[in-house]
Amino acid sequence: MEKTTTQKIRLGLFVIIGLLIFVLATYLIGDKQKMFGNTVQLATSFNNVNGLQLGNNVRYSGVNVGTVRNIEMIGDTNIRVEMIIDKEIFKHIKKNAVATIGSDGLVGSMVINILPGKGMADLVEPGYEISSLNRIRTDDLLNTFSKTNKNAEQLTENLLKITNEINDGEGTVGLLVNDIAMAKDLKLTMSYLKVSSQKTSESISNLNRLIATLNNKDNVVGILKDTAVANRIRNIVGNLDNTSIEINKAVSNVNKTVLNIKDGKGALNYLSNDPGLVRKIDSTMTNVNEASIRLNEDLEALKHNFLFRGYFRKLEREKLREQKK
Amino acid sequence: MSTTMPNKKPIIEIKDLRKSYGDNHVLNGFNMVLNEGENLVIMGKSGSGKSVMIKCLIGLERPDSGTIIVMGETIGELSRTTLDELRTEIGFLFQGSALYDSMTVRENLEFPLRRHTKKFGILKDTTPLVMEALESVGLAHAVNLMPAELSGGMKRRIALARTLILQPKIILYDEPTTGLDPITAKEILILMKSIQDKYNTSAIIITHDVDCARVISNRMILLVDGINYAEGTFEELSKSTDPQVQAFFK
Amino acid sequence: MPMNAVFNIIELFKSFLLEIGELSFFAARFFRESFKRPVEFKEFLRQCYNMGNRSLLLVAVTGFIIGLVFTLQSRPTLQEFGAVSWMPSMVSISIIREIGPIITALICAGRIGSGIGAELGSMRVTEQIDAMEVSGTNPFKYLVVTRIMATTFMLPILVFFGDAIALFGSYLVENIKGNVSFLLYFNQVFDALEFGDLMPATIKTFFFGFAIGLVGCFKGYYCKKGTAGVGVAANSAVVFTSMLLFIIDFIAVFVTDIFYDL
Repeated sequence: MEKTTTQKIRLGLFVIIGLLIFVLATYLIGDKQKMFGNTVQLATSFNNVNGLQLGNNVRYSGVNVGTVRNIEMIGDTNIRVEMIIDKEIFKHIKKNAVATIGSDGLVGSMVINILPGKGMADLVEPGYEISSLNRIRTDDLLNTFSKTNKNAEQLTENLLKITNEINDGEGTVGLLVNDIAMAKDLKLTMSYLKVSSQKTSESISNLNRLIATLNNKDNVVGILKDTAVANRIRNIVGNLDNTSIEINKAVSNVNKTVLNIKDGKGALNYLSNDPGLVRKIDSTMTNVNEASIRLNEDLEALKHNFLFRGYFRKLEREKLREQKK
Repeated sequence: MSTTMPNKKPIIEIKDLRKSYGDNHVLNGFNMVLNEGENLVIMGKSGSGKSVMIKCLIGLERPDSGTIIVMGETIGELSRTTLDELRTEIGFLFQGSALYDSMTVRENLEFPLRRHTKKFGILKDTTPLVMEALESVGLAHAVNLMPAELSGGMKRRIALARTLILQPKIILYDEPTTGLDPITAKEILILMKSIQDKYNTSAIIITHDVDCARVISNRMILLVDGINYAEGTFEELSKSTDPQVQAFFK
Repeated sequence: MPMNAVFNIIELFKSFLLEIGELSFFAARFFRESFKRPVEFKEFLRQCYNMGNRSLLLVAVTGFIIGLVFTLQSRPTLQEFGAVSWMPSMVSISIIREIGPIITALICAGRIGSGIGAELGSMRVTEQIDAMEVSGTNPFKYLVVTRIMATTFMLPILVFFGDAIALFGSYLVENIKGNVSFLLYFNQVFDALEFGDLMPATIKTFFFGFAIGLVGCFKGYYCKKGTAGVGVAANSAVVFTSMLLFIIDFIAVFVTDIFYDL
């Protein structure tokens, strides 16, 4: 009898510990998926969820706060995603928060990142649909790019004209000084160049910010989950950066020259007497030209990037439509 | 048929029992009657169907045809419950003792009491019954041993005690002395006799041991080729001139 | 000669089908009898103790070593890709989903399956099963139902232990080689796991346990006469069970794949 009693106790222990392991595992897994405890619903919609699955994590400023509960097709490009969020965290989310889709590491599963918006806003209430980010961002970015590109094109054309004229001979220098229209032209070009340069740097900083968030991982623009693509974009941005520096250089060079011209005779003499300077301007112009070409190339590269392809196609279509009108 | 003991009524009747395994016809129309208070020895060569017969008798094997009537009930027509009830009246001593290896002697003896509750009711304390059965085989000291710790003779006696614990009216012995040395075998035979005196049981003893048959039998049946070849007391049969019968007595 | 070979193969196939058929009847009888009263609860507990507690050490040691070795072996490959931080998730998923259940089941097929085969076989040979029948106890209920139940319910628990210990073994390697803290390791482990990993694997283990008990009992209960029969019963119980385990595993994974759609 003694023996069977201890056997029973041991069996009981065995079963209880075994089941505890199971329950603990279940609880821990469930806890990770926020299946138990106080949770509140929150929704958002995307036009592309990139293979997001039920149960994927939701992060708020990089902290795991919930999971994806439901993914529903609403329109052909509109997918509503419902999430459950930890109640504790819920009180910190404001209505201007934005959701993006990103990937968790190199081969990780998809995550939704909720980023706090700038400035003040009301707190979200349960079931509130916060805005999502991925489309707006890329569109804005590309708009800027396209404007910059146009400006740069115009400016290089103008500059080329001027430099060619300067190169054509001494006569032109005189013409340059005497012809007010020409001076005006040059001035205009300068302002274009300035604007263009500003815009370029602006878009670069935009892109840079984008890349930075890419690096941070917790703020990934949904579509840019692929590192290869990210690297490519980084390259493009690097190129743009260089271009911008060169444009800047060119602008300051030309600026200096123009100032000299404006200043009066000394400058004119200097300009006409110093072939080195002429060459310098020439080379500056070539630089600007090159830079502009490179910028074009970069934009071309962006166009071929599958991510932005759709956007460019849309632009072309719009252009066609306008032409038809 | 009850020629030898006309004052007793039959307790087991077997009529035309047939059993075959494939092409091997083990029993070919075996007939037998066991009277109350009688020790019936059934002798036969190995494979002559003795064990099969006795297993049919207790419902462990199903015969192909023939009827077996035990205490007025026809085996084979009984429901599981009534068969089990009937089995409480029939003890079975197995050839190899068949003690449960994983249980102590006490648990072995208690085992039949678990389900055969009709006879004694549900027992809170089985000790008196266990000890009584053990004392009647002279092994009260072995109550807490495991079967592996027992000698062959002790095992046989414990097995006997296990059959006795339900105080059956009939005991079936399947080769009770096989595998034991002559002295132990004799002890077992003496024990069997004393039990018959004590509990007034009827018994069928299956054996091929002539000494066993001589000591214990009131009547004998010789089983040859699946039928009851010859019948009579030990003296009658040992004087027979039939060569088949003589072969048993050498 | 070739005719003979063909004939042999047909005979082999026939006997295989016969075995499957008999096993199915045996399983059907198990289900019929397991609902009948009285319930042999005490014997069930005894068997649970025998199969659960007494296998724990074996399962623990194997589980620990498997976790250890598995991690040690996969580490260099992951290191090549610079993905050592994926170790916990990878190890946990493979242990919980596949390695834990199948290794534990195989170990138990060796220990418990052969044990049941030999025990019931020798009980059959020495007429203990007949003796039970005569004693008014349904031996099928007392011996077979309790044992199959015990394996069915004990194996999942053994697998929990095996999984936990295997993960611990894996953690030790990670801790020594990669300086991963206990908290981080298990955080990553449970981060990688989903219910879709744990639940099908757990359900599967019930079937594993059932198969071990069923085949062991089947082989033992219908053991051929003689001591050689006992050996054959024990041996074929292990072989047949191991094969059946893989078949069940295949079906389980297949079904999981379709229905769970992970």
